[in-house]
Amino acid sequence: MTLRLQNVQKAYPSGFMAVKGVDLDVEDGEFFTLLGPSGCGKTTTLRMIAGLETPSAGRIFIGGQDFTDTHPRNRDVAMVFQSYALYPHMTVRGNLSLNLEVKRIEPAEIEGRIQNVARMLDISALLSKKPGELSGGQRQRVALGRALIRRPNIFLMDEPLSNLDLKLRERTRTELKKLHETLKVTTIYVTHDQAEALVLSNRIGIMNAGDLVQIGRPQEIYDRPCNIFVAQFVGTPSINLLNVTAENSGGSLMIRLKGEEAPLGSITLPASDEVFGRLGMVGSDVILGVRPEAIAVLAEEEAGAAPAEIELVEPMGSVNNIVLRLRSGPEATADGEPVIAVVTSNESRERGEKAWVRLRPERLVIFDKATGNTVAVLSDRRWEPI
Amino acid sequence: MTAQQVISSVSGDDRVRTQATKAGSFRPTLGSIGAIFVVGLWLFPVYWIGLTSLKPIKEINSAVPTFIFTPTGANYWELFTKFDFARVLMNSLVITIVSCFVVIVLAVLAAYSLARMKVPGEKHIALWILSLRFLPPIAVAIPFYIQWQDLHLLDTYLGLILIYVAFNLPFAIWMMRGFLADVPVALEEAALLDGLTRLQIIRRIVVPVVMPGIASTAIFTFVFTWNEYLMALMLTAFKSVTVPVTIAKFVEPYTVLWGQLSAAVVIQVVPMLIVVFLLQRHIVRGMTLGAVK
Repeated sequence: MTLRLQNVQKAYPSGFMAVKGVDLDVEDGEFFTLLGPSGCGKTTTLRMIAGLETPSAGRIFIGGQDFTDTHPRNRDVAMVFQSYALYPHMTVRGNLSLNLEVKRIEPAEIEGRIQNVARMLDISALLSKKPGELSGGQRQRVALGRALIRRPNIFLMDEPLSNLDLKLRERTRTELKKLHETLKVTTIYVTHDQAEALVLSNRIGIMNAGDLVQIGRPQEIYDRPCNIFVAQFVGTPSINLLNVTAENSGGSLMIRLKGEEAPLGSITLPASDEVFGRLGMVGSDVILGVRPEAIAVLAEEEAGAAPAEIELVEPMGSVNNIVLRLRSGPEATADGEPVIAVVTSNESRERGEKAWVRLRPERLVIFDKATGNTVAVLSDRRWEPI
Repeated sequence: MTAQQVISSVSGDDRVRTQATKAGSFRPTLGSIGAIFVVGLWLFPVYWIGLTSLKPIKEINSAVPTFIFTPTGANYWELFTKFDFARVLMNSLVITIVSCFVVIVLAVLAAYSLARMKVPGEKHIALWILSLRFLPPIAVAIPFYIQWQDLHLLDTYLGLILIYVAFNLPFAIWMMRGFLADVPVALEEAALLDGLTRLQIIRRIVVPVVMPGIASTAIFTFVFTWNEYLMALMLTAFKSVTVPVTIAKFVEPYTVLWGQLSAAVVIQVVPMLIVVFLLQRHIVRGMTLGAVK
């Protein structure tokens, strides 16, 4: 079923605005993730869809029908809770079947569905156990099964993987994706883990301080963030933010590191008039966002490359994270952090070595220094507005 | 036996047993010898009462306490034949069980509302409910007597049941509120999304999960009611007289019927032991284990 949120808000009696007006259209069968730091309003939004919280304003449509004032019991949405919320006094079978019993579905049909879901989630052997006898991963499966068995209009998942250890989390993540591809039920997934969001979602909505900041496909969010917050929140290691000046040089955008005379040669590329127009408004002092994989670390000097020193090498197995300090001084980065580059691990580098940083003309974003909003992104070797 | 003793013996039971098995063998220490002494001091009167209930009158009145004698059932026999103790026992059982049941049902519902719903001025209500318990029963005994007389509730089951419900409810609500506050809200939300109504949630989710709390509260309520003396003395005469009141009557102006008194005390303890035994199965810790995380 489709889901539509229309200017949905949640204000608490204390005056705190947990959700400041979310507009959202989720297509039928879509896996949509609300991603954001804790306290950004993503869980509150999910709970409003479930009916566990009442919106202070706005409407919620499920399958085109207004469900804003419908009791949660009658919404036919299934939710997987972060804490699982399994009924401790019931067996796994009882946990799975409660909803169907309440709906007065034939016992034979219930049994069939239990077997089906248990097989799908590999919990057939656990049916007569109680939640207290299960491991964390097994509980998580039962919680998932309790939602699956209902064949609901919409699945709501509130950080369902956050209590699992890393290995299990990644495995379950893959299974969740497979499951969604088989069942194609509209799913709203809440998480603060950007990797989960990128892997699972058809589309992601990034939330910050009660606002839905950006909606887009995972790659879009990663490549074309709409502001610094989104750029920083998505991607590990985090995006590098360099203080630069950007000026028009014969139709091309010439970018210099702050305090450096020589332009970063590799990325002096043509830009559209709109980009120049925007730059005219925000000024030439801007922030350049550089994904760690867009940095080439050179051992020898090269025109248009910035001199730096290797501060630390973090081997990650297939790649190395290289932590660099730009020679132009601590003001080189907007957040005062060193620059991080991700290079393949066969390029051996040592701490303290001199290096030259060359930017690849990909995944680069120019942000307005004052507002943090995106001014331009590099796309097909051309600076374009987002 | 006081309520505290009942509860501590109930909850402490398993722990002590597991510790003893873990230790393997019992090694007498200064502490354990002291404990045995204290327990002996407490249990001796109980033992003595049990012994007395089986003694013939001559042994009871002997100047030197006797421990070895030919036991007799005469005291018990007289209790039931001469003093109509079966009816008294039945009175106590009916009054206690009915008031206990009513108290638990009302307490669970009231405590649930206090713990979960937005009740206007709930903080004040909670304290006010508890403050009812501060009132010494003697302060209201006489007003109740007069009112009960007008309402023709004197010496009736209903009269005593109403009193016991009113007296025990505040405490039971207070106790249940604590247990209910510990039930994870997510459980109820999950049940809500599973399509259960509020009452179904209480019956199928909340009550089973707080069963240990209900059992503890029921034990307290049962013991308080079963042993209550003052109000029963004031408000009953013949028809609905209870066990504690009857026992007191064995202390006569010129003599104390020690044999019958002891037999009655022994019988009075039995229902409490049964209730505690039946309910303690539910007092298992970690009932919510596996519910969350």
